[in-house]
Amino acid sequence: MSEFEAGLDFRRGMIDRRLAHTKRVLLVMSGKGGVGKSVVSAALAGIASTLGLKAGLMDADIYGPSSALLFGAKGLPVEGESGLIPPILGGVKVMSVDLFASGRPIPLAGSGANEILLELLALTDWGNLDCLVVDMPPATGDIMLTLTSLRNDVEAVVVTMPDRLSTSVAHRVLELLKGGGVTTVGVLGNMVRGSAKGKEAGPRKLAEEFRVPLLGLVPFDRSVSNAVEKGNIEALLRTRFARTLRKSMSAYLRA
Amino acid sequence: MHELSLVQGIINAVGVTASEKGGRVLSVKIGVGELAQFDIRLVRGLLNDLKKGTSLEGARMIVESEKSKVKCLSCGRVWNFQELAGPISSDEREIMHFLPELLNSCSRCPNCSKSYFEIEEGRSVRIIEVVLDV
Repeated sequence: MSEFEAGLDFRRGMIDRRLAHTKRVLLVMSGKGGVGKSVVSAALAGIASTLGLKAGLMDADIYGPSSALLFGAKGLPVEGESGLIPPILGGVKVMSVDLFASGRPIPLAGSGANEILLELLALTDWGNLDCLVVDMPPATGDIMLTLTSLRNDVEAVVVTMPDRLSTSVAHRVLELLKGGGVTTVGVLGNMVRGSAKGKEAGPRKLAEEFRVPLLGLVPFDRSVSNAVEKGNIEALLRTRFARTLRKSMSAYLRA
Repeated sequence: MHELSLVQGIINAVGVTASEKGGRVLSVKIGVGELAQFDIRLVRGLLNDLKKGTSLEGARMIVESEKSKVKCLSCGRVWNFQELAGPISSDEREIMHFLPELLNSCSRCPNCSKSYFEIEEGRSVRIIEVVLDV
């Protein structure tokens, strides 16, 4: 007879099963806050849906969730027999801790944020998805480590603004991804002001150094903040920002 | 009814572990933490229903309730959910039912009023122990 203290986190197996019918998991990362990951993530999921793909958006920014706000999602998810059913807005299945916290502050010590992430991933019934976009938090802590080891075909887009502060942190993220079992789809320059000429130096240099594609340079677009205020993904998708993003990412999303 | 998903997850995980170790499951001990506020009878019933037809069918299922233990990382005070039951609204209880860590969003340390605390025990359902005959 053999007895053992299990230490068995059954949620890992649940997550594997939940994502077994998801073709692609795409992490939108930067390492740094304020470069537009959440808006890029929301728009990417929305674009995927307009391309006829079954899209989901997982808000992994547990401390500062914004996906629900961007999509205008409110209220607790419906509980089905097979788990939590994410609300569908603009054709996108959206899951966020803010559907539960509803604007309350989320002060979490220790492993708290990662526990919430694991619980949400274990409980969410995504059904069949072509693409699950994950809005990653800033920093390279537990959540990033959990999500990059979620399964062995996880892919990542690294978003950066053209300035040195952003590219220096994006550089660290690319370094982590390199050889870490995550396919880096490419570098996406965001909030590029004025003519792209000369502004692409930072993102392009990063892409060249890590031998990944420069996916595009998305302009700074004042109309994005108006669309965000509306909490309506369709409004966001009508912006110049989203149209440029669509050109940059459609081929990848369709592949 | 996400209890059903969690219990199914437990049955699957224990089954996979038993299969990997090539053993027969003799017993499984499950802890039901008070923060998630599950009905322990429901969890017990689901375990006994869902084990039928699996490698856990003959296993003894032991289900225990677990008190919560929350520690303030600022002043060191240790407390439990019962001490805070009064100020927590039914809406807040409901969100903790899904995500026990959101206790941090719904309460503060009863001693120093800081939000800097950690759940040490009694968060949700967990596997305490699996006994295999190998």
